[in-house]
Amino acid sequence: MDATTAHSEVLADFAVPSETGNERIAMARVAQAVAGLGLTARRLDALKTAVAEATMNAIEHGNHHRADVPVLVRVSAAPSAVTVTITDQGGAAEATDSTPAVPDLDAKLAGLQSPRGWGLFLIKNMVDELAVSTKGSDHTVTLMMRLTDDLGRSAETEDGHAAHV
Amino acid sequence: MQRTCDVSIRQAPGTAVLSLTGELNSSASAVLGPAYDDAVADGDPRTVVLDFTDVDYINSTGIALVVEVLARARAESRTLVAVGLSDHYREIFTITRLSDFMQMYADVGAALASPAGA
Repeated sequence: MDATTAHSEVLADFAVPSETGNERIAMARVAQAVAGLGLTARRLDALKTAVAEATMNAIEHGNHHRADVPVLVRVSAAPSAVTVTITDQGGAAEATDSTPAVPDLDAKLAGLQSPRGWGLFLIKNMVDELAVSTKGSDHTVTLMMRLTDDLGRSAETEDGHAAHV
Repeated sequence: MQRTCDVSIRQAPGTAVLSLTGELNSSASAVLGPAYDDAVADGDPRTVVLDFTDVDYINSTGIALVVEVLARARAESRTLVAVGLSDHYREIFTITRLSDFMQMYADVGAALASPAGA
């Protein structure tokens, strides 16, 4: 991800307390920060969902709902991509725990798998790149959305469906 | 602070419509299951419609709650239908494969008018 962060500008840098529901605050502030970057509505919605899910994971599994331990969110943009980092204090233990099996709806409907466990799966499907890193107690999820992709997809309509020719 | 989810129930011939309002998040676990219980106890509907028209946020916990309701509906040989999803949440229902098991319609009227609905 070095190429996308080499000439990046920080658009937002904030913290939210680790309380259930604060993922909506993170989602709204990230949406506000990237408003001028030209993401299509479809890709903006996707980024918002990824940010919300990653923040939820940070609140629940990283900081264990300790309100005094903040989730740190940073939004930066380079000409080619917007990057959102979400950092909690879960450390390496969380990195190990946050690699669940791919959710299998058939198994869930058959009662063979918990109905939960969609968070990381959603994040992976919403953004162009997902990276997870750990440094001491810092556990950081990095979400990347290409901006050139939006520009390059001239055949994509606003609602995300390929235009028919 | 987490916003909550409210559910209201409306019965139509052979069909129960559960209209959700607010956010489909962990708060909905206290209302969605009981609302489904009430809906199927009153009239034994063949089809249960989940109306998401007034839902502005669904997270992964909300998806899990839909999976739970879908599992129950299938075990009871009922058809579960989703209406009023935004394009974004339609995409999520597709990615998660919920759309393989639930017909999706624009609104309640379209679901009720469908041969696969009521």
